Amino acid sequence: MKRNVIRQIVGGLSLTSAMFVFQACYGTPQDFGLDLLIEGQVKSKTSGLPIKGIKVSVADNMQYTWTNEEGEFSFYTEMLEELTLRFQDVDSIKNGLHVDKDTVLTDLSKDIYLDIVLEEK
Amino acid sequence: MLSSLIKYSFRKFKVSETKRHELNYLFWECTTRCNLNCLHCGSDCSKNSVNKDMPAEDFFEAIDTIKRIPQNFTVVFTGGEPLLRKDLELCGKELRRRGFKWSMVSNGHLYDKERHISLLNAGIGALTISLDGLKESHNWLRNNEKSFDKVMNAVQLAASSNRLNFDIVTCVNQRNINELEQIKKLLISKNVKAWRLFTIIPIGRAVHNPELLLTDNQLVQLMDFIAACRKSKEIDIKFSCEGYVGKYEPLVRDSFFFCRAGINIGSILIDGSISACPNIARSFSQGNIYKDNFYSVWDNKFQPFRNRDWTRIGQCKTCKDFKDCQGNGLHNWHGEKNNVLVCHKEKIETATYREHR
Ligand code: SF4
Ligand code: SF4
Repeated sequence: MKRNVIRQIVGGLSLTSAMFVFQACYGTPQDFGLDLLIEGQVKSKTSGLPIKGIKVSVADNMQYTWTNEEGEFSFYTEMLEELTLRFQDVDSIKNGLHVDKDTVLTDLSKDIYLDIVLEEK
Repeated sequence: MLSSLIKYSFRKFKVSETKRHELNYLFWECTTRCNLNCLHCGSDCSKNSVNKDMPAEDFFEAIDTIKRIPQNFTVVFTGGEPLLRKDLELCGKELRRRGFKWSMVSNGHLYDKERHISLLNAGIGALTISLDGLKESHNWLRNNEKSFDKVMNAVQLAASSNRLNFDIVTCVNQRNINELEQIKKLLISKNVKAWRLFTIIPIGRAVHNPELLLTDNQLVQLMDFIAACRKSKEIDIKFSCEGYVGKYEPLVRDSFFFCRAGINIGSILIDGSISACPNIARSFSQGNIYKDNFYSVWDNKFQPFRNRDWTRIGQCKTCKDFKDCQGNGLHNWHGEKNNVLVCHKEKIETATYREHR
C-alpha cells in the first residue's frame, strides 16, 4: 500500500504520465488496447447440426476465421462501439449450401458467445 | 533545484520499485531458430539451431507458478524468430485464457496477411518489428535482399490495426546513422506511430564488424536527432533503455534511465534458464524451470539484478553518476564482468561533435 503511494507520487513527479510504460531494448510496447473474445457455434436451421467451414468475418476490419467440425469459432477482436459479423458459406456444396447472414453486435463491453443458425439454400 | 528534486525522487522510486520487484514483463525465448542471418546476430539476439523449441507445456507449467498476477503482466515472445513456431497462436490463446496479455518481437520476414489475422485472432496485443534502415542498409544488416520489402509489407499490415500497440525498432549503425531523417519520414508515411532506436554493443559478430558500432560522435548525433524529434512530436520516438546517457537524461526517453532487468523484467530462455532480458550474459541465470519453481526464483533470487553495488568496479567504481546509472544496462556486462562494456555517458562526453548543439 505504502509503496503504491510512492509509485503514484513519484509517477506524478516524472516527466510523463507514462511512468510505468516501459519496455526492454528488445521488447515490445505494452498492450493497453482493449479487445474481446467472440465465440460461438453455427448450426443448420433445417438439420440442427453444426456446420463446418463457415467463414466468420468482421465487416469493419480484415479479421476472419472458420468454423470447425463442431461448427464452433473463436477469436479476439478490437472492442468497437458496434461490430458486424458476417457468416458466409464459401465452400460451395461442401458441407451443404447455406444463406449468408450478418449479425450486428452492439454490447461489446465483454466477451460474447453467439448461437448462429443458417438457413439452407 | 527542481531537476535535482526530480532526480532524487527518481532514485527513491527505483529503490521502491526494486523492493517491490513486480514481474510485469516476461520474455519467452520460444525458439532460437531464425530465418535470417543478420550481421549483428549474437549481439542482440541468440541464434542457435542446436536448441529445440521449448515445448509450450513446459513454459505454461513454469508460469502457472506465478502467485500474484500483476495487472499489466505481458508475455513477450522472442527468439530467434517467433513466427517460425507453428503453435505460436495456440500458445497466445492459451495465455489469454489464463488472463495474460502477450506480444511479439519479429523480424517481419514471415509476417504476411494470413499470419497478421491469425495473430490478432489469437489475441496478440503488441508487436515490435525491426527496420534497420532504408532498403540498402536494412538489407545489408539483415543479410537478405528481400528483407526490406517484406518488412514494409509487415509494417503496413501492423499499422492498419487499431488493436495492436505497434512500434518499429531500429538498430543504429554507421550505415544508417545519416538516414535517420529519411527513415522517420518513411515511417510517418506508413502511419507508424512509435519508433525506438538502439545501438549495438561489441559482442557476438559485432566485435569483428566496426561498421556496426557507433563512434562517440555518432552517438551524440543520434542523441541530438532523438531529442530534436521528440520536441517536434511528429512521431513517438525514443532511445531504448540500453544505457545512461548523462546530460541527455531524460531528453531522449519518457523518463530517466532505469534498467529494470530482474526488477520488472524476467525471462524464460530456450533451455529453461530463468533470467531477465535475453541479451544479458547467460551467466546471470538465476535458475532453471526444469528444476526450480519459476516464481519462487523470481521472488527470492535475482540479487545481482536488485542490488547493483557489484557494478562499482572498473570505471564505474569512482563514477560520480553512479547513483543515477548503477553500472549502465545489465546487458553491458559480459565475460569476467570486471568493467562495463559500454559507458554511454563517457562516449557522449568524449565526443567532439557539436554540429546541432
Ligand atoms: S562509468 Fe559506469 S556508472 Fe558511470 S556512467 Fe559509465 S557506466 Fe554508468
Ligand atoms: S538489461 Fe536493462 S538496459 Fe539492457 S535491455 Fe534489459 S532493461 Fe534494458
